[in-house]
Amino acid sequence: MAELAIGIDLGTSNSCVAIARSGSVEVLPNPFGEGISASVVAFKEDSAVQVGNAARANVIHDPMSTVSSAKRLIGRFFFSEEVKKAQAICSYKIVEGPNHSVRIQVRDEQFSLPEISAMVLREMKSIAEEQLGQEVRKAVITVPAYFNDNQRQATKDAGRIAGLEVLRLLNEPTAAALAYGFGRGLSQRVAVYDLGGGTFDISILEIGRDVFEVLSTCGDTYLGGDDFDDRLIDLLADEFVSQFGINLRGDPFAFEKLKLGAENAKKGLSQDDEVEVRIPDITTDAEGNNLTLQRVVTIQEFTALVMDLIQRSFKVCDEALQQAGLVARDLDGVILVGGPTRLPLVRDAVAQYFQQEPKADVDPDEVVALGAAIHANSLIGGVEEGDAFLLDVTPLSLRIGVAGGLAETVIERNTPVPIEQARTFTTYQDFQESVQIKIYQGESRQAEENELLGQFEFGGFRKARRGEVQIDVTFEINADGLVNVTARDQETGQEATTAIALSSGLSPEEMEKILEASPAERVQTMDAPNEAVTQPADELVLAEPSTAGDAHQPAIDPNEETGRDLKVDLQQRDSGETPLSEETEPSDTDDIESLEVDDDLFEQAGVDLTDLTDSDDLEG
Amino acid sequence: MAPLAEAEIRALADLLDELDYYQLLEIDPSAQGSQIKQAYYAASRRYHPDANRLLEGEISDHVHAISKRITEAYQVLRDPRRRRAYDAMRNEGGGARIQLVDAAARADKQARDQHEGTTPNGRRFFSLARLDVERGDKDAAIRNVKMAMTFEPKNTHFKAMLVELRGA
Repeated sequence: MAELAIGIDLGTSNSCVAIARSGSVEVLPNPFGEGISASVVAFKEDSAVQVGNAARANVIHDPMSTVSSAKRLIGRFFFSEEVKKAQAICSYKIVEGPNHSVRIQVRDEQFSLPEISAMVLREMKSIAEEQLGQEVRKAVITVPAYFNDNQRQATKDAGRIAGLEVLRLLNEPTAAALAYGFGRGLSQRVAVYDLGGGTFDISILEIGRDVFEVLSTCGDTYLGGDDFDDRLIDLLADEFVSQFGINLRGDPFAFEKLKLGAENAKKGLSQDDEVEVRIPDITTDAEGNNLTLQRVVTIQEFTALVMDLIQRSFKVCDEALQQAGLVARDLDGVILVGGPTRLPLVRDAVAQYFQQEPKADVDPDEVVALGAAIHANSLIGGVEEGDAFLLDVTPLSLRIGVAGGLAETVIERNTPVPIEQARTFTTYQDFQESVQIKIYQGESRQAEENELLGQFEFGGFRKARRGEVQIDVTFEINADGLVNVTARDQETGQEATTAIALSSGLSPEEMEKILEASPAERVQTMDAPNEAVTQPADELVLAEPSTAGDAHQPAIDPNEETGRDLKVDLQQRDSGETPLSEETEPSDTDDIESLEVDDDLFEQAGVDLTDLTDSDDLEG
Repeated sequence: MAPLAEAEIRALADLLDELDYYQLLEIDPSAQGSQIKQAYYAASRRYHPDANRLLEGEISDHVHAISKRITEAYQVLRDPRRRRAYDAMRNEGGGARIQLVDAAARADKQARDQHEGTTPNGRRFFSLARLDVERGDKDAAIRNVKMAMTFEPKNTHFKAMLVELRGA
């Protein structure tokens, strides 16, 4: 049987799976004939696990054991704002795991976010297998364009746990544009306005005859349809308090009913100018009388509640247009993606902002999965006439931590990928023997305002005065948008490399355990050697630079495999290359260019114009 | 598109560090916007990882390295400021490659030099002229700008200031 690869849109609220083959592309419906399935996982008393729309219906019966919107938490640190926000509105228990990761506790069992997402992915995989009548092992999974490396890594882990070989993590707006323009021979500039359940992305693309080039992408991973619901929930809950003196937020059962009521009201408002929310017996008063929540919500009222959220999305659009060097009237089309864009108030506001009506022939719920399927098909060699080629960008600037708590840009956001860049650094102190390399993503000069992707210690330098040791640090972003960093001592040729993932939420050992626990689900071809994992992430501490004579970092064992989680793999190499270092150009404005090593500092030598790193393959 | 021949990939990978961005994209150094874009598309079609999924091992690494360099070349040449910085570096005998943030920093420096002057005396008289403007002494300002221009006759920013002062 011909090999097939599916496209999966793993959404915050809903997921969708599609297949492209022999020139056609279609959504594969679930056994109930529904094109989209809720990204909800319900853990039943009898230890059965239910996924999809049925699981969603379970929430009012067992809110503590029903997990929804997991995508909002994937790849996040426990201390992040989003986790606090989720704790306030989710009835299920969100707890802290090792290394600041997030875990979801259901009864006495804890799950990482990749595991939860894997359950949704596995459901989509089995929907596809049922429809196709054959096993499916390969998939393209979509992610919000604005997802950072941690979120991408965690999503890729989820795919592996689900027994899928992830051919590519594809940005959702790019997928949508692909589905829109596929096979139509267009030559257009389009904006994809993607307002999902939990995230907002805007991408500006240039669609050529057979090329889809992303010119810019911007986003807000804290903005989505869920926020619209929250506004309604607050309105209804506050009024209930003033009416009956009872806070529905304190009762998970009542609160879940309220959430469903609010969501239905929102959906109703995409058809009608007013809806009535009526939830009988939502709770009981002190005397045990049943209380009913009843409230009419008008479209004007709802608009007033959410208009600031929509305006926030347009600020992001401004940025994307500016980064693409375009203005709204340069665009030939606007594509709407995501359930919330069905709301007339969103459509109208978008039409006004872009000064044109959005395309009407695109299904906002299915378009992303369709695009993913088209790309999946082309990646397994199903190349057909008019096959499109994708050129995407990295959404966030990649930075390295330098002295003074700052983070210096190495690769600017909206740089096309794949890309590789190199910087040369040197030691800051006499006889310094190691350095802590910290990698960030984000747009702030202040290191802590960015997302920390990973850190690793690099050392074993010869005894030398400050400035004498030269270290090339190479930063790579691959076509999946995943980041890889390599450090190399120019003199000894010693090298350390790490694919960075700090908060996938799973330590390498846990990941191994999970994969072993379900051998049947395990994909035969495991990914790149970088993903082999040996050291638990929670052993990672900020390494003090060693000052004693011992030149070896204790954390590093050259015999072990390269660790994905900040495990540093040292390889002795011959260093045959001679760097063609050009004179350093002193920067007038940014005088501090030192890598931070706690209190120890590490100074950047300057502009690296050598060609060392590219030709320098990482295999030993 | 026909699969790439291994020999072709090896040959290009070996040459990679010697080719400048124009050679890599196979365009003329005078090529403009759409030519650069088309060349980038054509090169990506051949060397992007998506087009070469079936390659393995060293050959796959070579293709990745080439693909990344193609992206870099495009990112420098598509942006007039970065491109100017790159061309200037090449003219000074620099290498075939420029790091993107360095290109941006060089471009900023060029712009700043234009604004403030590249010579100590040029900078000094020009800053005096600006102080004169703040005080409202137009004649003194014109004298100082003229002095600055004797050191940097080609500075367009100085010229513009002089024109403005004379017009005012």
